[in-house]
Amino acid sequence: MSDSSKFSHVAQQYLDGQPGPETLDPAERAGADRLLRAVESYAAGLRAPGPELDAAVMRRVRAEGLTPQSPWWSWIVAPHTIRVRPAVLALAASLALVVWWTASGARGRSGAGAAETVLVRFQLAAPDAHDVSVSGSFNGWSPPGIALRRSVVPGLWVVTLPLPVGEHQYLFRVDGTQWVVDPGAHAQVDDGFGRTNSVLVVGPRGVFGP
Amino acid sequence: MTPVLFSALIATSLGMQQADLRQRLVDRGAAPEFAQQVVQVVAAARTSGLPVEPLADKAFEGLAKGYPAERILPVVQLLADRLRAGRTAALSAGLTQPSGRVVAAAAEALGRGMERNEVVQLLQAAPGPDAASVGLTVAASLVAQGIASRDATRAVETAYHEGRSARELLELPSVTSSWFAEGVTLPEVVKRIHQGQALPFPPGRGGAQGGPPGLRPGTGPPINPPGKPGTRPKRP
Amino acid sequence: MGESGSQPDGDIVRRVLEGEVELFGVLVERYRAEFARYATALVGDPDRASDAMQEAFIRAYRSLASCRDLKRVKAWFFRILTNQCHDQRTRRRRETSLEGHDQPARDRADAQVLQAELARAIERALDRLTPEQREAFVLRHVDGKSYEEMAALLGTGVDALKMRVYRARDALRQQLEHLHE
Repeated sequence: MSDSSKFSHVAQQYLDGQPGPETLDPAERAGADRLLRAVESYAAGLRAPGPELDAAVMRRVRAEGLTPQSPWWSWIVAPHTIRVRPAVLALAASLALVVWWTASGARGRSGAGAAETVLVRFQLAAPDAHDVSVSGSFNGWSPPGIALRRSVVPGLWVVTLPLPVGEHQYLFRVDGTQWVVDPGAHAQVDDGFGRTNSVLVVGPRGVFGP
Repeated sequence: MTPVLFSALIATSLGMQQADLRQRLVDRGAAPEFAQQVVQVVAAARTSGLPVEPLADKAFEGLAKGYPAERILPVVQLLADRLRAGRTAALSAGLTQPSGRVVAAAAEALGRGMERNEVVQLLQAAPGPDAASVGLTVAASLVAQGIASRDATRAVETAYHEGRSARELLELPSVTSSWFAEGVTLPEVVKRIHQGQALPFPPGRGGAQGGPPGLRPGTGPPINPPGKPGTRPKRP
Repeated sequence: MGESGSQPDGDIVRRVLEGEVELFGVLVERYRAEFARYATALVGDPDRASDAMQEAFIRAYRSLASCRDLKRVKAWFFRILTNQCHDQRTRRRRETSLEGHDQPARDRADAQVLQAELARAIERALDRLTPEQREAFVLRHVDGKSYEEMAALLGTGVDALKMRVYRARDALRQQLEHLHE
């Protein structure tokens, strides 16, 4: 690089937008201005990724799901989905219920033979609600349902539940009176009574959806 | 552990169970006569070799939603009929002793509008009983999302042929649900499923499509924070 | 979610790690808005810049727990993004010649021919810079960041950054002069 194409210190100051006490040689100024115009033109024509990128990223983030192989410390910081051994759940169930389950010859609609259980997070945006609960196949639709708590996000209600893998049908209940579908469910189906139930299909790595 | 422990209780508990179910219904607000009628439907279903949990579930659901007995009973009866149809489909698919799970899944699939021959097709194609019930559940969920039953059937069948496990199948509705939520059109969703974009490739492992599956935030290797020496040499 | 917009990056990271995965989208929007042009200029191609940003976000998501200093999340992400951009640029150079085989980073609808030529010269000239010079030059002249802001992002001193920018300008000036010879 020849010396003539190096900007002087004064010119560099000028290009930094901080003209010093010394005056700038006109030829150098012209060179500096040409550089600035060229860069402006370049920058103005840049076609940079826009908001569509955000959606694409979140798509992948959601699809990544949750991993079973995780170092012990990440289990602590990210409890979104963890495994609970079936034996633990079986012990926690009441005796009558367990007898009824097994005597009926079916272990519910859970899938994969090992009847794994995963924690799944439910959430509902209900800013005007006083209380929100969820009821469904996983709690035998028993009233008053499982209570959600207010999230730190205003208007959002959340709860995390252990669910066996497989399909679950459920609804939210707002203020003990109104049944509400989950817009974040995988599908909505007829409940047979003329109403709609929300459906979640829980996989061994948890649930991801909209 | 569980089957061995509890099988001994089954013989003695039949009578106990019926009383138990009746009591539970009454506890939930059912009139005693209604509770007895439900118990009878359930008993008849069990005699026919049908799974009864879905029936009791449906009765509890009706009570929770505040429906009167006259509304609930027909629904439970209809479900029993559908379970019967599911069992018949399973038998005609060649399963000699279809499990309660399979029957319930077949019934649900039929109830959601899948054709009987599609249910039979999936049952025949399934590599095992777990995959059979899961495959039907997944296909039925896809149908509930608006996917045509022939596409849902084909998707699950293809998954079977690729050697997908029940675990992998269970992820399908989550993936399609995400796509729909972003506004991907139905034809495009179907196309992607048939192109194998829904499940990681190759079967059984994480793959190239959307990055390795199953990532919880914070489980990858640590990235050097700024200011620390990285792998690139510093140059002026 | 009205209050999320005013939350510091570190709070959002903490909440994402506690399970509020959807909040990661807030970070994505913030950083995409801030760094999309930087990434495009650094990579030289908008599609590959998009790939680089996506990959950077996913890697950041996976390594979120390793972001130790919650007050410097942006700088941490910036480093991940910059690495991805350099990778993409290298890949792009290997795969295409520079003379217009892939999408130009710039809009061809530019009416002024001279301006277009100058801008094209910048694009080519950026290719001849070292990665560090390119980063510094883009941050300064495309993003208009101050040396102090740059220092916070890059973890490098202001003087060293000035040096890189000055050298980049010299190199670019030479390229522009060739245009008129």
